[in-house]
Amino acid sequence: MEYILPLKDCHAHFSEVVGGKAMGLGSLLRQDLPVPPGFAVSTHAYREFVEATGIDRAIQKNLRHADTLERQRVASERIRSLFEESELQGPLFGELTEAYRELGPQGSLPVAVRSSSVSEDAAEASFAGEHDTFLWVEGPEAVAKNVLRCWSSLFTPQALSYFRQFELHPDETAMGVVVQTMVAAEAAGVMITIDPVTGDRSQISIEGSCGLGLAVVGGEVTPDRYFVDKVTLDIRSRMISPKGIAYRFDSELGEVCRIEIPEEEQMRPCLTEEEVIQIAALGKQVERALGTPQDIEWALGPGVSGDREIYLLQTRPETVWRNKQATPSATSHTSIMNRLVGNMSVPMRIV
Amino acid sequence: MTTMHEKVVHRFASPFDVKSAPGAEGWEEMYPYYFLFSEENREWEDGMLWYQDGVHHPEVLYPFDTITHECWRTALGQYNSRIFAIPPAYGIEQRIVNGYLYIAAVPVSSEERMQERVEIFVRRAGNYYANWDKIFDQWKVKMVALIEKLEKLEVPHLPRLDAEEVVTEMRGISAGWRLVEAYNAAIENMFVAWQYHFEMLNIGYAAFLNLFMFCKQAFPGIKDELIAQMVAGSELLFFRPDDELKRLAQLAIDLGIADKIRVSSKPEDILEGLRRDPAAAKWVASLDEIWHPWFYFSNGAGFYHHHRSWIDDLTVPWSALTGYIDRLERGENLARPKQAILDRRERLTSEYRELLATDEDRAVFDENINLARVVAPYIEDHNFYVEHWHHTVWWNKIREFGDRLVEGGFLEDREDMFFMNRWEVGQAFADMVASWASGGPSGGQKIWRQKVAERKRIFDALHDWAPLPALGPVPEEITEPFTVMLWGITTDRVRSWLGLGGTVAENEIQGVPASPGTAEGRARVVLSSSEIGKIEQGEILVCPITAPSWGPVFSKVQAAVSDIGGMMSHAAIVSREYGLPAVVGTGTGTRRIKTGDMLRVDGNTGLVTILPKSK
Repeated sequence: MEYILPLKDCHAHFSEVVGGKAMGLGSLLRQDLPVPPGFAVSTHAYREFVEATGIDRAIQKNLRHADTLERQRVASERIRSLFEESELQGPLFGELTEAYRELGPQGSLPVAVRSSSVSEDAAEASFAGEHDTFLWVEGPEAVAKNVLRCWSSLFTPQALSYFRQFELHPDETAMGVVVQTMVAAEAAGVMITIDPVTGDRSQISIEGSCGLGLAVVGGEVTPDRYFVDKVTLDIRSRMISPKGIAYRFDSELGEVCRIEIPEEEQMRPCLTEEEVIQIAALGKQVERALGTPQDIEWALGPGVSGDREIYLLQTRPETVWRNKQATPSATSHTSIMNRLVGNMSVPMRIV
Repeated sequence: MTTMHEKVVHRFASPFDVKSAPGAEGWEEMYPYYFLFSEENREWEDGMLWYQDGVHHPEVLYPFDTITHECWRTALGQYNSRIFAIPPAYGIEQRIVNGYLYIAAVPVSSEERMQERVEIFVRRAGNYYANWDKIFDQWKVKMVALIEKLEKLEVPHLPRLDAEEVVTEMRGISAGWRLVEAYNAAIENMFVAWQYHFEMLNIGYAAFLNLFMFCKQAFPGIKDELIAQMVAGSELLFFRPDDELKRLAQLAIDLGIADKIRVSSKPEDILEGLRRDPAAAKWVASLDEIWHPWFYFSNGAGFYHHHRSWIDDLTVPWSALTGYIDRLERGENLARPKQAILDRRERLTSEYRELLATDEDRAVFDENINLARVVAPYIEDHNFYVEHWHHTVWWNKIREFGDRLVEGGFLEDREDMFFMNRWEVGQAFADMVASWASGGPSGGQKIWRQKVAERKRIFDALHDWAPLPALGPVPEEITEPFTVMLWGITTDRVRSWLGLGGTVAENEIQGVPASPGTAEGRARVVLSSSEIGKIEQGEILVCPITAPSWGPVFSKVQAAVSDIGGMMSHAAIVSREYGLPAVVGTGTGTRRIKTGDMLRVDGNTGLVTILPKSK
């Protein structure tokens, strides 16, 4: 049982071991798509840790009486502090340190530490902690600390209520963690390889803003939006919005800061048209490789050469239209002549 | 028959409130009564939405030239209304206001009548679709026969004494009467050409529309031009004249006579010189061989008498020819990327097909695209036969009648005939032949010279009038399948006319994206084909409308912008073929852009930007 797996080895049949995020990244890497280098911390590591430290028993004990919202809140706090006050030790810390050092020669490479849940969709919605991604983490001790914080994010008050509601045993759940080289994003955002409004599968919808992706994912800015034709990769339309804030790493403070953008710069597009097309081309490639429309997080930052390069940070199947057919079109039961008549009689609305 | 059951939400000016253009009072007298708004028809006419037909008739109508729209009014209407029974649509009505043509679609307003028409349409149009290629082959035969008949038509002079043969051959008919007959035959020939023109056109468009609607439902964001690209063939007749020029350019180089073609002189004079030059004999023979029909290619749409063709004026083909010689000498490959176009067509088709949700959708898509491809050759090629080849012959034949009126003292110049409408020319011939027969005087000599002089003055005044884009009430929705397709009348277009559209910046002009890509460069505003020679390499063509014979121009420019036209307009098709960005249907491009302006043309969004002048 391994504690650490290279992202490339995170196959679908490991979903119980590494979680959804790691699996998605693994599938991208195996297609040679640009994903920041990194590794996954397995659920075995989690399980061994909670067992060895006795936190597993503490969780059960705390859960037993957490039958009101207030008690769930208190239990959550207690459980989470158990994680966050612990330290990783022994072979687990050793392997983590080794994997981290392999990412970057200098041993203080900034990384992102992100939780990778193994739960089903419905559960994921309930479990999803708000702070399950930690950016700009430097040094093995800090990485270890944030792995613990990811683990603890399994035990938000909402998650506890879910455990009780569905009578889940805490042993049945576990959390994987992904550690990846940090992309110093100059722009970042999401893309859906479909038109989320109409279900148009010939469209790739891209949203992006300046700086790290937090601003877009957290809904703090109205992002620039681009609609790209999936077949031709031509831009169908674009909407540039004023982007009032951005998250950037401040090297003096050593932390990610929320920065106000001067008014005259707010309308500057966060991407060039070439970059939009490159991002869409990657989206098209991902969808082809994975077989269904995808919901993808991307970032654009200096690559090895120093030039702006695009990285894919996450992909998951698009859920809204997955089980729905796009606008029902004519059926083949009617003859082409009758369809022709029908299509001639569609009124055009003027106002 | 009324459309007024639909809710009216906005209203353009009533046609009855439009004043005569200043100085053009009495313009109505130039046109047949049935093209005028009238008190007798007021109730119906005031309830219709009329738009100026900027696609086919953007210019002030010469009285004689109204024959082209009169031809299509009848031909289009009868095929929709009486022959194929297009369920929701009758024909297109026409009226003239201040010399400009306004049109209104006549809907089938009762549900019951529409239902009754479905069965007939399915049977009749279905038969055409099922036998399309065979019918088109037969169509070409009868069209060419009609052109030959026109070419053979003799336009007799009126001799002081009729020929001896009238008696020896006991003809029983005079030269005078044969002149009247010939005029009637020429008019009839034009009407028949247009009868043929619409035989397969609107049902062809219906098959296109069917594919468009399907694609728009399945892929709401898809650009129209991509749907068109999935259908377009690579062997349009429109490219043939241009291909022949490229071939002649190569031949000139092979024969070592390139410099004899490139001399700066009038092309017609150069050609005369070549005819006397033994070294050019082979080249001239090769030109003569393709002259008919490939130089019967109008520099305009063919709708007006002044849309002259290559055979009438060699400026356009000669400029292209010398350009091709230059480029071949520089080692350029002039071959059209036919295979690349077909490959793209197949790639687009298979990728969109793959994106459809179900196998059932894919089956429907296949059926729709196949039918659209079956009808496409007719849609693409019919103009060459009718508006180019036939009309080139026709307008020249008609000028011979002008000569006869000059000979009879009715006109000063053959071109003056175009200031008379077709009925008036018929009357003038009746008068001229009768007075020739009787030996008495003809009043027509004075009358027509005076009228023409007066009408020239009116005509100039009409030129200065800016036509209103539309007249009458705007219904909430329009149920007319061909309006969008053929005239580009979309919701957005009507809204912008009403001033309801989105705002564009002062230096921006919004049109219809017709061919993808972006380009920046110097504008060259070209208002008529006589200015084509001024275009320099790498400029952006800005024009009211392009005609297929402008094809060679497209190898010089890097983008095209036109005032009028839609996705299937000539400029759009040719630009896609040449891989140039194009924006069509800007409405005001030639008025707002000046030659020398720096432009950015975005063929993906349809936006044309006038860039600040760089120092």
